[in-house]
Amino acid sequence: MIEITSTPIILVAILGTVGMILPIIGIAKKEKGSNSFYATIAFGALIASIGYVIYETVTDQLPPSALFSKDVLSNDSFSSLFAIAMLIVSIITTAGSFNFMKNHSHHAVYYSLILLSTIGMVLVAYSTDLVMLFVAWELMSIPTYVLAGFLKKNPSSNEAALKYFLFGALSSAIIIYGISLVYGITGSTNIGEVMAGLQQMDPSLMPLALLAAGMFIAGFGFKMGLVPFHMWLPDTYEGAPPTITALLAAGTKKAGFAAALRVIIMGTIALNVDWTLALGVIAVMTMTVGNIAAIMQKNISRMLAYSSIGHAGYILIGLAVAPFTVLGIQGSLFHVLNHAVMKGAAFIAIAGIVATLGITNIDKLRGLGRKMPVISIGLVISLLALAGVPPTSGFWSKLILFGAALDSGLPSWAPWLAIAGVLNSALSLAYYGWIIRKMYFEGETEKRIAEPKAIIGVMVFSIIFLVAIGVYPEPIIEFTRNAVPVLGFIASK
Amino acid sequence: MSNTMLDFVIVSIALLAIGIYGMSVKRNAIRMLFAVEMIVNAANLNLVAFARFLPNSQGQTFALFSIAIAAAEVGVGLALIIVAYRMYKNVDIAEFRSLKG
Repeated sequence: MIEITSTPIILVAILGTVGMILPIIGIAKKEKGSNSFYATIAFGALIASIGYVIYETVTDQLPPSALFSKDVLSNDSFSSLFAIAMLIVSIITTAGSFNFMKNHSHHAVYYSLILLSTIGMVLVAYSTDLVMLFVAWELMSIPTYVLAGFLKKNPSSNEAALKYFLFGALSSAIIIYGISLVYGITGSTNIGEVMAGLQQMDPSLMPLALLAAGMFIAGFGFKMGLVPFHMWLPDTYEGAPPTITALLAAGTKKAGFAAALRVIIMGTIALNVDWTLALGVIAVMTMTVGNIAAIMQKNISRMLAYSSIGHAGYILIGLAVAPFTVLGIQGSLFHVLNHAVMKGAAFIAIAGIVATLGITNIDKLRGLGRKMPVISIGLVISLLALAGVPPTSGFWSKLILFGAALDSGLPSWAPWLAIAGVLNSALSLAYYGWIIRKMYFEGETEKRIAEPKAIIGVMVFSIIFLVAIGVYPEPIIEFTRNAVPVLGFIASK
Repeated sequence: MSNTMLDFVIVSIALLAIGIYGMSVKRNAIRMLFAVEMIVNAANLNLVAFARFLPNSQGQTFALFSIAIAAAEVGVGLALIIVAYRMYKNVDIAEFRSLKG
């Protein structure tokens, strides 16, 4: 049994209580337009949760990452890392909504859905049982379908939500089919027992096991935006409200990686198949398609959506070389944490621009560096971090990822992953540089306009986070090293 | 005479194939929703059938969870489709073109 005082339960208690109470307050309260009231409550709950997780990580020695446990939830440093990344994203989203949601209605429901989706994301990272994983996955997904279509009068928001819903529902259906197959093969839904069962199964069941592994890759791949399954992603990211895009790009995508690390990687090791080459090919395809398509975009949300596809490819490099080197998963985890902050900050900067000026076209960003200096500098720092320019933290995570691909040695194709990654980073610098050039070196001098205060706060936080880790990365590298699950356990079994 | 496990698996694979066909060919949002539901129900059939032939009943429990979750999902999906219908007077997703690139 799980202890009632373990971290995931406490997080569910805090966020769930607040998330359920918010709409009740919303109905009981007569007056309207109290956006910052609900935002403050939601913000407080999220700060309390992340404070608890960080406190536990810093003081209490968490058990080493095992990936398996007899319970349905396991509290280890692997899941803590994902929980911290996702809670940061939710905090950024809530803070950005202080200003963005001011002119829209139904605030109580909006923040309640963000909190419920956060519970889902956090529980995906903690769960070690396929039933728990699936329930958490749906708890994460269903609120985001509603949130993507939250601007009810806006046709593009609705279209974005509908496309997202259809592909999201398909991905959940495929995942549950995959789970049903592994349950039939191994007779258990606990991830550890499933892996043990897959190693001892009858060889004649291999085709079914491969079908199940393929279904997991496809199902989680839809959420992660891997290339054959990415077609919904640019439309959804462009049409959804920018604050929700931050939640989708930085949060739910990371939950997909948490689930993939628990299920796909362990499954491929257990099945003893050379499945890593397939993951490597998907990684190269994902980053190339994402970055090449990003160059041609005129809309900044859409460009960052394609760049987000590209980043899924970088993170997948670490998963592809995971069986050969420890650095692979370490790099992936570090990049997950970084990408959560930089993508979240970039989309919140866009939310700030949309809320004050109402533009998303890159040509119209002309002279923004003088009009809105703080948001512009925040956007620039996150774009440079996304490209992996040295004084930012994005450089270190890409260094570890590409270093892992070069270092792994064993598969002869691994260095090509690093080469593709470096080329793609150079390519991405081209279009990030184009945005920066539009903002700073074009347009006539215009007067400075007032910037939303909460979004300034998010920008300051992300600049400090990205630059501080870029200058002094040791503590975070140490933390991600501890979070890497022990793979030797499954190999020796 | 009783059914073997293979019978259930064949029906389930057939449902999965129909669902994937519907998802890839049809462009009507409600038809696509039905196609997804067929895949979910194929998985539920699998779970219940496997649970019958295995010594534990986790599969049946999971099928109950899955049915409840699918119902919630359909609720949200139909709500989105109704909003779309009010806006476009149509539920054909090929007609929704405010986003492209």
